[in-house]
Amino acid sequence: MGLRKNMAEALELPKEIMLNLPLITLVGREEITIENYKGILEYGAEAVRIGTAAGTLQMKGRNLCLKQLSAECVVVTGQIEELRFLT
Amino acid sequence: MNMAAFRGVYLWDVTPEGAGMTMKADAKGLEILESCAQRTGCQMEILDRGGLPVLLRRLRGRQVWSMGLLLFASGLYLLSSFVWSIQVEGNERLETERLLLTCREMGLRPGVWKKGVDPAQITEGLLSAFSDLSWVSVGVKGTGVTIHLAETIEKAEVVDRDTPCDIVASEDGVILQITAERGTPLVKVGDVVKKGDVLISSALTIGLEGEEQHTEYTAAEGAVTARIWKRLSGELPLQYKEKSYSGIEKENRSILLQGREIDIVRPNSRLQWEKEIMDEQWLSLGDFRLPVCVKTENWREYTLQEKTRTAEEAKKLLEKELGQRAEEILSPHGRIENIVFDFEEYADSVRGEAVLTLLERIDEKTNGSVKD
Repeated sequence: MGLRKNMAEALELPKEIMLNLPLITLVGREEITIENYKGILEYGAEAVRIGTAAGTLQMKGRNLCLKQLSAECVVVTGQIEELRFLT
Repeated sequence: MNMAAFRGVYLWDVTPEGAGMTMKADAKGLEILESCAQRTGCQMEILDRGGLPVLLRRLRGRQVWSMGLLLFASGLYLLSSFVWSIQVEGNERLETERLLLTCREMGLRPGVWKKGVDPAQITEGLLSAFSDLSWVSVGVKGTGVTIHLAETIEKAEVVDRDTPCDIVASEDGVILQITAERGTPLVKVGDVVKKGDVLISSALTIGLEGEEQHTEYTAAEGAVTARIWKRLSGELPLQYKEKSYSGIEKENRSILLQGREIDIVRPNSRLQWEKEIMDEQWLSLGDFRLPVCVKTENWREYTLQEKTRTAEEAKKLLEKELGQRAEEILSPHGRIENIVFDFEEYADSVRGEAVLTLLERIDEKTNGSVKD
């Protein structure tokens, strides 16, 4: 991991590809896109947990909804109030 | 859900509902989703099917309805492939009608097939037909053709003061008044002149009398009024036909389709009718005028009756007619001094002749040529 990280930094390569990390894009506080995720661990209108290579990402909010779900990315919409890496 | 997502099923609008969830998936992923549900021990239920493939499958059962839809779509496509309106923008001096007429001659008119319109050809045609156009752009948008154009800068009327020219008489007459602005007047009041005689000469004699003199030529200018005479004649028969209306009026409606008249119901054609167009209503689709017009006519029945008039009546009518014609030939500067009528009576008609005495301007510039 250390070597890969150094290489990615030295060659200025995108880390999410080199290190298999999730790419998280937040649009305001109403939409979040997580690319390169591992799986959905919990899903409800108030809380969503998504497993990624960087750890479990927990979202808390209101009216959360899975807008899109495919092998590459998850899009969650709603009123996002909290974002947190659990591990 | 994770299993399905990783197997490539695209899921969207996932919402939790009690202990379960509702979600949307494409038809292809349904089988995978079912097997995932079986393997994970979930219960799956299809709530609704929607989208274009489902719609098409449903339409298979409603043939008339789908035929109608198809007809409507093809009708819309067909109608939108014609040119329905032509607009001209940017013209100030040129009349829109003239431009449209030229376009019509080149094959661009409402109702023409849109693919047959070649904007480049119309542009070139317009530019060559009108010399005072500097720029033309023909755009086809939807069912309308818009012609944007720019006119050239208006040429000022050039008064040529340098090229020597004479002022000559345009008619025979007796001079009443002569005002020479430039040049030497050659005639005086009371002179009899013939058409073509020089009235104001371009030759100017420079220098005082008794000293050395020389001649210079100028563009002569001035006004010459003269008394001129003209003859007008006319003839009226003593027997004539006149329309006598029976008082019966009928309204007739017909449809004009691309200039061709379709008249289905019309009044009795054995009688003679005088037609008068009351109204022409063009049908339109929104802003687009269709080439269909409903014409309303007022038909009045009449019969032709033989009538006779006396020679005196005929003379009076002739006097009136000749007087009107005299007014018509008068120029804006002129006025009628006197009209003398002379009538000849024949067995079946009256011939009249009017001798007009007119006061008119007779000055006319020669085109650059100087008479010696």
